[in-house]
Amino acid sequence: MKLQEQHIQDLASGASFLATGGGGDPYLSLLCAQQSIKQYETADLISIDSLADDAVIVAVGSVGAPTTSLELLPSVDEPLIAIRAFERHTGLSIDAVVSFEIGGGNSLIPIVAAAAAGVPVIDGDGMGRALPEVQMMTYSIAGISPTPSIAVDYAGNSVVFENISVLEYEEQIRDFSMARGGIVTTVEFAMTVRELRQCIVADTVSLAIAIGEVLRLARGNALHLIQKLAPVFEPTSYGQLTVLFSGMVTDVATSVIGGYDIGYALLRADNNAEKQVRVDIKNEYLTVWEGDKLLTSVPDLITLLDTETGQPINSERLSFGQRVTIVGIGCPPHFRTPAALAVVGPKCFGFDFDFTPIEKLVY
Amino acid sequence: MRIGIDVGGTHTDAVLLSGDSVVETCKVLTSADVMSGIVEALTRLQEKSALANSAKSIMIGTTQFTNAVIERRSLQPVAAIRLGSPSGRGLPPFVGWPEDIAEAIGGTVFELDGGYLYNGSELAPLNTAQLDTAINQLGRLNIEAVAITSAFAPMNAAPELHVNERIRQVLPQCRTTMSHEIGRVGLLERENAAILNASLLHFADYVINGIENALASVRLSCPVFISQNDGTLMDVSFARRFPALTFASGPTNSLRGAAKLTGLNDAIVIDIGGTTTDIGVLRGGFPRESNLVVEVGGVRTNFRMPDILAIGLGGGSRVNNNGLSVGPTSVGHELVSQALVFGGAVLTASDIAVAAGQASMGDRSRVRELNSDVVSNCLDTMGKMLASSIQKMNPGKTALPVVLVGGGAAIAPNTLDAGFEIVRPEHCDVANAIGAAIAQVGGEAERFISYNEIVRETAIEQVRSDATMKAVAAGADPDSVRVNDIEEVAIPYMDSGATRVRVKVIGEVAALNSYPTSAAVR
Repeated sequence: MKLQEQHIQDLASGASFLATGGGGDPYLSLLCAQQSIKQYETADLISIDSLADDAVIVAVGSVGAPTTSLELLPSVDEPLIAIRAFERHTGLSIDAVVSFEIGGGNSLIPIVAAAAAGVPVIDGDGMGRALPEVQMMTYSIAGISPTPSIAVDYAGNSVVFENISVLEYEEQIRDFSMARGGIVTTVEFAMTVRELRQCIVADTVSLAIAIGEVLRLARGNALHLIQKLAPVFEPTSYGQLTVLFSGMVTDVATSVIGGYDIGYALLRADNNAEKQVRVDIKNEYLTVWEGDKLLTSVPDLITLLDTETGQPINSERLSFGQRVTIVGIGCPPHFRTPAALAVVGPKCFGFDFDFTPIEKLVY
Repeated sequence: MRIGIDVGGTHTDAVLLSGDSVVETCKVLTSADVMSGIVEALTRLQEKSALANSAKSIMIGTTQFTNAVIERRSLQPVAAIRLGSPSGRGLPPFVGWPEDIAEAIGGTVFELDGGYLYNGSELAPLNTAQLDTAINQLGRLNIEAVAITSAFAPMNAAPELHVNERIRQVLPQCRTTMSHEIGRVGLLERENAAILNASLLHFADYVINGIENALASVRLSCPVFISQNDGTLMDVSFARRFPALTFASGPTNSLRGAAKLTGLNDAIVIDIGGTTTDIGVLRGGFPRESNLVVEVGGVRTNFRMPDILAIGLGGGSRVNNNGLSVGPTSVGHELVSQALVFGGAVLTASDIAVAAGQASMGDRSRVRELNSDVVSNCLDTMGKMLASSIQKMNPGKTALPVVLVGGGAAIAPNTLDAGFEIVRPEHCDVANAIGAAIAQVGGEAERFISYNEIVRETAIEQVRSDATMKAVAAGADPDSVRVNDIEEVAIPYMDSGATRVRVKVIGEVAALNSYPTSAAVR
């Protein structure tokens, strides 16, 4: 499918829904994608099955603090600079690109890259949501190395990372981005279609576009929108949408700990002032608690919607007095294996309990 | 004693308030030049009550600047200077703007080296030769308004100040808007706000000179304030420099006026005009603000604005299909000649209200022959339109009281299906002018601060002090200033305790307490 302007706008909106509070405001990535498809021919969104088994894929996206890009603007040519540097350094010729994560602005960077490099973008991603670290991608979990990788800073300078473990890479790329203004564009995970097929969360780009279309056309409150979204999720590998809570934000306390935005939000129910829930945050929304009863936890998806407009609210925009509706969604099966839960389960975020799927917690 | 004036598209309303109580009100048609309408309204007020002459301050709400942007008129060409290269390649100033307004404003852009990074180090050093070339070109192009925007200016405005100073030296006739003076964090939205503001500077002089002349001609010499989008006020010298801060002040004033007239702090407010109905929500006595980025005339900004749902229903809405369809087309300000009750030939929502005995205007005998089914169908249609919109805006499950205000309030039915209680306060037709009259003065400041370097309490105190200075500069009594909102946002992934701190303060108008003869505080 040739991606048109409207697809890209809907993708940006749907990607906010799947971002579970993180991933950053996709507006700037949207602008880059719009400029890129204006400047070049638009990108083609393709199924992984339409490529040969040994075709070469890379994942492309931003690493760093999305909030800083509100001031340190991204450049439309950054993804292309990264891809060309990657090809020069490795001698590989890239056949298609894929997204790190469908949540937030990183859903759109591959389109910027694909249009500029004249290659297609694959319908799918490495998370099915947003998560903060490189080892949490299904690509890493499947044993594919993120390096060799190229990182490009705001001035267009590129550097190479090579032959290091996933965890070392996570640490070094984080340091590099902080040293270069807080955000960089990277090309990582050179892989064949054969490798990617084993781990891709498929069809999430078209899912996000479909979600965005519903958010655009079915204006109304959160409950109304959730009814309209249910059939969109029905045929996917995600679980069903479950309304966990509806109420007002009474406190948001977050601070930066160990390089992350860590804290919690407290909410009071609309219909019962005694009923309170707590949402734990580490960039993304991680858990929802009613007293000491857990309602949902990472890696299942937790999305907060503005009750009145149904629009998703990112964690950095959550504030006192907002009326929000909390929705839980079972994550794709990729994250429910023991190997995946070892890197994305609650314990990886400092909690002392094991993962229980949402469907066992609330039904 | 104070006077509130609302200059709307159709009517100019004026109210005289003594403390909190309404002394007199009047409503006249808005004139094409705006100013003679104000003169007429004030003259009427003076005729009704001699107390009007002893007013200590006048507050004016106007949609002139919003309308100028929406209609793309009275805008002057602006050059946008951005200091942020080499970042943002391919996303120049005016990116994402509708083409017609980008053309109206000129689209001259300069992307220069400069600005800062999140950690306080330079993004790129200012390049003097580059800057001088740009300023020369401004002179050659005869551009008289410039918007200056620098990366991380809310944290460090030095590059903007430097460029502003150079322009002042070389091109003294040029007027400038620096982004850090008008917007918050978010470079593109702040730059857009600065560009829109700069494009209105010339028109602001015209409008404010007109207001001052109008007041002089009716011999009122008290200080004048202009309503801002957050329900607070600015003095006229500030408004000359920041006309864009009046965007969306109309809906804000009607919400605040409704709060004052009813004493309700939490309510849904329906402002029915001639062509449209604006539905907003009062929370704690103030308008609920939109969580989303707000577009003005299609341009994305980050102004503080009330969350408003507008529908095409008003006193002038055309009634079609035997009353089963009403609006969105309207006879607008031609209501007084085209509606049936005024001797015209168009069946409007106002005619239905008169026929149903809800309103008295024009000649009722002209609608006596109207089919009663059409009347009841139409009331039903309008009730359904309002009820479904109210349900969209109603926060939570409890039905809030619904306050009807605005010149077209009479067209609304007396009951709504959804079980909302309807309140029609006295003076509801001039709620906007009352909202303008009771407004306060606000100030907002924002900075990126590292809590590792500055203790949190000290940091917030610094930002509060910035905000207070802004409020006092906009005309607030320093002793009455209080904190209205504190927002802290930690920056994800950063190890330095970096936090975005934003403080909003609000205070009483200094002139109400101390009655100074001049409010020229800047």
